Amino acid sequence: MTRLSSRLRGLDFQQAVVYFGFLAIFLFFAITLYDDGFLTQRNLTNIVLQTAPATIMAIGLVFALSAGEIDLSFGSIVAVSALSCAVALQSFPLPVGVLVGLGVGVAIGAFNGVLVAYLKLPSFLVTLATMGLFAGIARSMTNLRSIPVMNETFTGIFGSGKLFSVPSLVIWTVLGVGVGHLLYRHTRFGAHVLATGDNPRAAQVSGIKVPRVRLYVLMICGGCAGLAGLLYAGRLQAAKYTLGESDLMTVIAAVIVGGTALNGGKGSVVGALLGSLLMGMLNNGLILMNLKVSDQMIVRGLIILIAVAVSLRDSSR
Amino acid sequence: MKHLNTLAFCGALLGAMSTPAWAETTGPNGETATASSLVTVSDAQAETLKAGDHSAALLWHDQSDFVNAVTAGASDEFARLGIKVVATTSAGFDAAKQRSDIETALAKQPSIILSLPLDPVTSAAAFEEAKENGIALSFLSNLPAGYEHPADYAAIVTDDLFQMGKQAADALASSMGGKGSVGWIYHDASYYVTNQRDNAFKATIEADYPDIEIVAEQGISDPARAEEIANAMLLRNPDLGGVYVTWAGPAEGVLAALRANGNKTTKIVTLDLSEPIALDMVRGGNVVAIVADEAYELGRAMAASAALDLLKEDVPAFVVAPAVTVTADNVKEGWMQSLRIEAPASLSQ
Repeated sequence: MTRLSSRLRGLDFQQAVVYFGFLAIFLFFAITLYDDGFLTQRNLTNIVLQTAPATIMAIGLVFALSAGEIDLSFGSIVAVSALSCAVALQSFPLPVGVLVGLGVGVAIGAFNGVLVAYLKLPSFLVTLATMGLFAGIARSMTNLRSIPVMNETFTGIFGSGKLFSVPSLVIWTVLGVGVGHLLYRHTRFGAHVLATGDNPRAAQVSGIKVPRVRLYVLMICGGCAGLAGLLYAGRLQAAKYTLGESDLMTVIAAVIVGGTALNGGKGSVVGALLGSLLMGMLNNGLILMNLKVSDQMIVRGLIILIAVAVSLRDSSR
Repeated sequence: MKHLNTLAFCGALLGAMSTPAWAETTGPNGETATASSLVTVSDAQAETLKAGDHSAALLWHDQSDFVNAVTAGASDEFARLGIKVVATTSAGFDAAKQRSDIETALAKQPSIILSLPLDPVTSAAAFEEAKENGIALSFLSNLPAGYEHPADYAAIVTDDLFQMGKQAADALASSMGGKGSVGWIYHDASYYVTNQRDNAFKATIEADYPDIEIVAEQGISDPARAEEIANAMLLRNPDLGGVYVTWAGPAEGVLAALRANGNKTTKIVTLDLSEPIALDMVRGGNVVAIVADEAYELGRAMAASAALDLLKEDVPAFVVAPAVTVTADNVKEGWMQSLRIEAPASLSQ
């Protein structure tokens, strides 16, 4: 009993919110929607498939927030990357299309990063501006048209395919979380990111190249958004300028609920995965409950508000 | 009454003679239109459906008065047919969310899906699983690319798009005494619904009103830019007699521009109901008419076409619901006819 209470005292409450919240909401839907298909393997798989792009975006944002920066432009990067990839695939083989899509994401991230790290501009304002800039570019680059993706190998790898019966989007999610977690928790770079976010001056004094860390985290954020763009293009078998636009708030909420601090120095890639799945599960369960659309929005908003409030309240103590 | 019918017939005949031969709404793939009033489920068919334990999912593109009215029309018809609505969603114009909504709704195994595919290209893959599962699909206005009737879907149901544009032209021309200059603000995007309506307005003015000239044409893709577009148009054409605006959202911007210029003479006609626009109209402002669709009837016809498809009955590929011209004189009746709700209180003060 004493051991249990000491363990509970040592538990990071902010990071635990997502585990308890996830479990509580899962159990609620499992009981109330038992006869409505919620617990079917297909529905649960759908939740993972539907949240795969948001999860990948969330991983990038964990790095940016942990370093004390933010990227508001990742939704626009998703659209530009997906459209660039779809256009490239119309004339070039698959590897070129993939490289173009990912390359565009990393390049935009580097553009943001240079402005933030070396021109010392605040990331909030820089990415607020580039969000609009690249949303405009996404609209103009194909004159508002959707671009079909006909390359079946691409749509298999990034969308509807399977490897040993495991859907490719599940594999991308596991790969993304695995690589992200390793980089974040088990490398010197991850430690530098956390140190930069916790106290940039102390990090600089201790020999960490803070501007370079800031550049790299925004490049990672851009690269993750680029990959999310490829996943959307594969899943929809098309790219459109609206892709990623509505993900900004969902992804930020997923990352905060997942235990990442808004002001840097603390975060969790696994928590971001659970936060993203929680958002997907809410969307899914509220539809299956046959609530009116307006009621779905109200309930979803209230649950996110409670989760974020509980999570941030504890971290501010 | 008989005289009125005869007059109406003669009027329609004259109208038909003066408009171009292609003056009718055609489907996205050139399908011939069938009036929605012809798509009905008989009481006997309703009894058969009630025994079938069917269900429906309403997977919309967005939320609005229009979508609410379509939902009400569909829900009332489904209730009459004993078909349970098991899911209602809004994709917020997000193609990825629309795909997720479809996948989620499929967990409830509906027999029918009513939806507005956001985009022919992105929707093709999104509805694929529903199509393969043999679900009766009734689409509002758009069609996923490559889908064939009747194998893949029950029907496309939409407004009588040509009539909407034509009635807007007739209303504006009437308010201008059949002469003068007009500005044409059209939707600058490849979107089947608005393109048909906009072109119908232009074609009608050009074919039926020789003393009216379209002196300014301007596309718009962002409704927020309507005011500056209208300002530029008025600067170049200060004597503009009337302006056609592609839908009510940008028309609010055009109205703001006219007010800012102190212009009380240029008439506005637009499409789809909006309270601020209607308020200007009933107060004798610049707006002379709003042409609206019968959204409730669209929903009813969508539900009926999908139900008939479940019964393996022949369903026309392309169904259109009538348009209604709303003016200051019939705003209450027009609101009810279009949306099946009372007109806002501000309009009757």
